[in-house]
Amino acid sequence: MLRNYLLTAWKVFMRRKLFTAINLVCIVLTLVVLMVVTALLETAFWPSGVEGKSERFLQVYSMRSESADHRTVRTELLGFKTIDKYLKPMQGVERVSAFTTPASVSVYQGDRVSELQMRRVDADYWRILDFRLLAGRLPDADDDSVSRFVAVINATTARKLFGDAAAVGQKISISGQMFEVIGVVEDVIHMNAYADVWAPLYTFPSGTWRDELTGSFAAMLLAKQPSDLPRIQREVERVAKTFVTEDPHEYATTTFWADSKLDLVARELLGNKERADSGGTTLLAWIIIAMLLFMLLPALNLVNLNTGRILERSSEIGVRKAFGATSRQLAGQLVVENVLLCLAGGLIGLACTRVVLWWLETAQLIPYLKVGLNPSVFACGMLLAFVFGLLSGLIPAWKMSRLDPVHALKGAA
Amino acid sequence: MLRHLLKLTWKRKSRNLMLSLEILIAFAIVFGIAAFGLRYWQLYREPIGFDGRDTWAVRMKMGEIQDKEIPAEIYDTLRRSLLELPEVREVGFAAYSPYTMSTWTTTFKSSQTGADVPTHIFESGDSTASALGIQLVGGRWFGHEDDGQAAQPAVLNKRMAASLFPGRSPLGQQFTSTDKDSLRTFRVVGLVEDFRNQGPLMAPAPFVLTRFEPHTGKSRARVILVKVAPGTPRGFEVALNRRLKLVRNDWSYEIAPLQAMRTSLLKEHLIPLIVVSVIAAFMVAMVAFGLFGVLWQNTTRRIPEIGLRRAIGASAADIYRQIVAEQLLLSSTAMIVGLILLVQLPLTGAMGEALNWGVFIGAAALSMGAIYLLSLLCSLYPGWRASRLSPTEALHYE
Repeated sequence: MLRNYLLTAWKVFMRRKLFTAINLVCIVLTLVVLMVVTALLETAFWPSGVEGKSERFLQVYSMRSESADHRTVRTELLGFKTIDKYLKPMQGVERVSAFTTPASVSVYQGDRVSELQMRRVDADYWRILDFRLLAGRLPDADDDSVSRFVAVINATTARKLFGDAAAVGQKISISGQMFEVIGVVEDVIHMNAYADVWAPLYTFPSGTWRDELTGSFAAMLLAKQPSDLPRIQREVERVAKTFVTEDPHEYATTTFWADSKLDLVARELLGNKERADSGGTTLLAWIIIAMLLFMLLPALNLVNLNTGRILERSSEIGVRKAFGATSRQLAGQLVVENVLLCLAGGLIGLACTRVVLWWLETAQLIPYLKVGLNPSVFACGMLLAFVFGLLSGLIPAWKMSRLDPVHALKGAA
Repeated sequence: MLRHLLKLTWKRKSRNLMLSLEILIAFAIVFGIAAFGLRYWQLYREPIGFDGRDTWAVRMKMGEIQDKEIPAEIYDTLRRSLLELPEVREVGFAAYSPYTMSTWTTTFKSSQTGADVPTHIFESGDSTASALGIQLVGGRWFGHEDDGQAAQPAVLNKRMAASLFPGRSPLGQQFTSTDKDSLRTFRVVGLVEDFRNQGPLMAPAPFVLTRFEPHTGKSRARVILVKVAPGTPRGFEVALNRRLKLVRNDWSYEIAPLQAMRTSLLKEHLIPLIVVSVIAAFMVAMVAFGLFGVLWQNTTRRIPEIGLRRAIGASAADIYRQIVAEQLLLSSTAMIVGLILLVQLPLTGAMGEALNWGVFIGAAALSMGAIYLLSLLCSLYPGWRASRLSPTEALHYE
């Protein structure tokens, strides 16, 4: 049966090559936009590569302190002391890393000034994230023990600062401090990994960072396995309740949350700062609704094209009806045809998506962007194509199944 | 003729409904982008209230220190030290730099109406007006004559002046802050046309410029605005940084010319519009393809009808005109419905000032033009094809 459908579909597509091409172009254009968005979302929320362990770690980015009467609210990044005193001693967590958010620094080389993004990170940072080392080495225990001023830079920065010369072993002056470059890693955009320069924590110009409860730090908590995450989230929520600010009279309660990447973004966008539920599922639902809405116009377009097409095939439909095909069978056939066309469009779209993403990567609109088309994006793309095919096939199919066989046989609907 | 066309369109209403819905959505998308673009264009042409050419911003990164730990004398030292450089013309201080996404908002109480007015606020020193090139339209900028006065001086933009003191000359009027614990009184000393710190694409808002005076006030500015000689090269940054480090070695300094910051901020504002426009262009292209295909199919299906018209004396040009006119009629219907829906936005004021009548009419005209052009282009070839049929062939068509 399906073989017959396929054969008919093929014949129909080949009979009207121009219209098949127009249909395909519409489908491909729509799916490329949707697949690029999916691929970008996938890279943002469920990345592979440097932050490939994302499903095993949570991050704490902000803490919110509130006065007893809820009038004064303060939202800030964590201080090192908060991480050291409250998060590190937690049970059942494999590693806790304290690292700063990127801060822009100026690197002076003679008359040249380069503006770079710099993070200061602890030793566990390098163990949680899987940076790919291109040259040299990462900071080790030996550097820590003698507080050596070492820095790791990424490939683009190495090229920018030293051209083709080897970067490892060079000295650079970052905001007046001298660092020795010990390693070059590949460029990354991910949330916790993005930076141009990384240096150890002890290179802070002043020593006050150890005693600050609020500051410029964030934390990553690596669990032993993904199933531990809900327990760790509850644990962090409990720990936050025991938190005492430096001024307990002013700020009576403090909350901070261990979030996955999706939770973190959802919390920021939807403003769920004082609830344990970040609204991640709501955000996902909104994204899906937005995608479906986006499909509306192309789907309507395809509906119009398909309606024209079936009317051309009215004599074929008349014959089939006269020989006893039910409306449902006919409708099914057209939907299958349409879905097939959409899946074919999906495959072409996938190739085009690769090209668009490659262009996005080289155009550097977003620095260091690297988007992979992995199997899950592929599956998403095919699912989108399928939904799109259904969406745009149903109305014409319903119309077609209503054709009166007597008129249809004569070819005039 | 029109009545006849309307009748023909109505006869095929169920098919035309889907087609008009498609045109309607495409129209709404084009309208949205045209409105966005026109609003930006409108904002771009309004004054921003300062010049900023040849001005550089230096952000002092002092680390985690409280305002009270910054000595008041440091500002005099910084200013003196920088003015010694031959390239530097003027040095001013400000709470934040223009051409950044920074906003600082507060609420003031009008002494005239008693209402609380939310506003943006920009705190800057006595020499900032000349360093930044702020043009006043009335009154004067801050100066030493304001020292020791009970009421702090303030410069308002016209929008703020109109909402604080409607119908009165604002100069010399007083207004108060709404803080509970420390009530501060301000006196209007000057008036600017407008002030938009985020640059030419920022929506105009009420603005209050207050005086930064380190010796009497508690607040501390963290940005230095340096006016340099025209044509100073970017490499001057190194000399500037060196000089600043001589004053305070434990701070670090982020230096950028305002023009460079302006360019990158404009880009930041425009990128979302460009991305949306590209996607919309693809969608409109798709609609064009679809429309073309549907019209082609329609004319093919109507060959017997066309043949009949030709047989009873209609010329090829008549047929051509009919096909194109029918399509334009359909597009017009869809767009009129779209306009009736869209006109609710400025009528109810749902989008506020962003969608004013000027923008609405401009965007409506632009998007209608675009859709008409699209319909015309899509119907040209199918119309031509239909008009070329010979009546005998057309009548026999099966």
